[in-house]
Amino acid sequence: MLAILKKEFKSYLLSPIGYIFVGLFLLMFSIFFMVTIFNYSVLNFEYLFINGATILTFITPVLTMRMFSEERRNGTEQLILTSPRSITSVVLGKFFAAALIMLITEACTLMYFAILKYFGDPSLMVALSTLGGFFLLALAYISFGMFASSLTENQIVACVLTIGVFIAMWFLPNMLPALSPFSLINIFDKFTQGIISIKEIITFVTFTILFVLLTIIVLQRRKSVK
Amino acid sequence: MIEVKNVSKKYGKFYAVRDISFTIKDGEIVGFLGRNGAGKSTTMNMITGFIEPTEGSIIVNGYDVDRKPKKVKEQIGYMPEGTPLYYDLTVKEFVTYMADLKLLPRKERKTAVKKAIEETGLEKVQNKLTKNLSRGYKQRVSMAGAIVGDPKILILDEPTVGLDPKQVIEIRELIKSFRKNHTVILSSHILSEVSQICEKVIIIDKGEVVAVDTPNNLEKETTENNVLRLTVEDENDKFETIKEYISNIKEIKFVTKNDDKSKEYIVETNSNEDIRKEMFSKCAELGVVILEMKKDTASLEDAFIKIVEDRPEYSEKEIEKQEYEKELEDLRKEITEKKEAKEFKKQAKKEEKARKKAAKEEQKASKEASKEENQEGGDK
Repeated sequence: MLAILKKEFKSYLLSPIGYIFVGLFLLMFSIFFMVTIFNYSVLNFEYLFINGATILTFITPVLTMRMFSEERRNGTEQLILTSPRSITSVVLGKFFAAALIMLITEACTLMYFAILKYFGDPSLMVALSTLGGFFLLALAYISFGMFASSLTENQIVACVLTIGVFIAMWFLPNMLPALSPFSLINIFDKFTQGIISIKEIITFVTFTILFVLLTIIVLQRRKSVK
Repeated sequence: MIEVKNVSKKYGKFYAVRDISFTIKDGEIVGFLGRNGAGKSTTMNMITGFIEPTEGSIIVNGYDVDRKPKKVKEQIGYMPEGTPLYYDLTVKEFVTYMADLKLLPRKERKTAVKKAIEETGLEKVQNKLTKNLSRGYKQRVSMAGAIVGDPKILILDEPTVGLDPKQVIEIRELIKSFRKNHTVILSSHILSEVSQICEKVIIIDKGEVVAVDTPNNLEKETTENNVLRLTVEDENDKFETIKEYISNIKEIKFVTKNDDKSKEYIVETNSNEDIRKEMFSKCAELGVVILEMKKDTASLEDAFIKIVEDRPEYSEKEIEKQEYEKELEDLRKEITEKKEAKEFKKQAKKEEKARKKAAKEEQKASKEASKEENQEGGDK
């Protein structure tokens, strides 16, 4: 798994995708940061991350859409799938490489906390809870994006599918309250209030594990359909 | 040793590969020969475990590809069709990654990568990005990725496609050098290549194995008549009368007249006897000057075309019909089996009834006997 993680992480940094993701996120985050401070005069670190979740909804596919689609289109999937590495280790390697990029992005957002700390007094504990929740949300998003990428060799299809499902999960609960347990963004909001509850953590973790497993199953089953 | 047993691959109703079986011994260099879409790549992909056969099993050095894929994949170096590479890596990084994927221990990795790069002649470009390389070099990088770590079995899908003649020769030499320590399977639709490199040829057509033999045997089998090709200077038009002097000649065909007034002929003979000496002396007598004379033997190309074209052409309908008939037969078999089973059961029931009856009667008899005994005892 480490070999694949290393190579994938390197790929993120060698191709501009890693930089685009981090750059795009920080750019939009900064805009929100400015707007909330100057227009609404809110000095609130966790409030920023509600917007951060919105940004993440739209830019997660930058990280995930190429994961398996590109390999399939270029034929390089033949190289990994005929190597003695197991499919599980391939999937986990790619997943954690994306998670690592996410971690770097989050580390960068600490500078906003530093700025706020200089001018005001934001709560460190709430900030940590927010960052933790945001990471869990990102893992869930990445796992679904990866799953979408394993379904098709067309990156655009993977991208649209990912964003489409995220938006549906975001807005559908507003119309059908019965679906609210599936709204990842609503679940994440709890973390921004400084509430860490087992229920929310388990929801994120099971969502993530489910789609990692589904990706593995898709790749394994493809062997007999290809 | 690679054993392929009754393997089929079906896509919907279409057979990409149909019931193929063959074995490849250790150290052999085997060529898969076939037209485009004949099923060469599919077969290779199945041996490497990339795709799963619909039916049948593949065993590589004692391990079933389906059950112990890791053990099989460890032994195989695969160069897929179309040389897929990671374009954001340099040559060295790519080969290192392939070594990494093949679970090579850290200590051996560096030397293995170096060796693979040297063997494929990539030293000069090893720090270039693979996307910036020419096609020939990409091919070599793909080859380096396959041979890194010295796998016992090398599977090369069209290794020389798109190379310039010098590179082709180099790659062929490279493949030949694997002969001692590796089993090599390569596919090609270039026949001369296969006949040069391979010790064994497997001809695949429309998903079926049509012939397995050495290139020489295949060529011999398909040679029928001796054919001579001649270019002669024949001012008095006497060449065609030569038929009267040499009895073995079956036919003389005029091909063309060249610019320098020489003529080309094809002479077919009845038997396999060599008539070149006779031809030479008779031509001299008739005043015909032989500029060129060549014995034509069947090439692997002829063999291939002959074998492939001699096969009956199955239309889809016929295949469907065959399948339908097979299904019908299976059904019939099932029915007769069921009938037999029923009859067997009936028989068994009857026998048991008879046995029970007999047992009852015996019991009765014994009871009566005991009664009688009792009575007798009472009487006393």
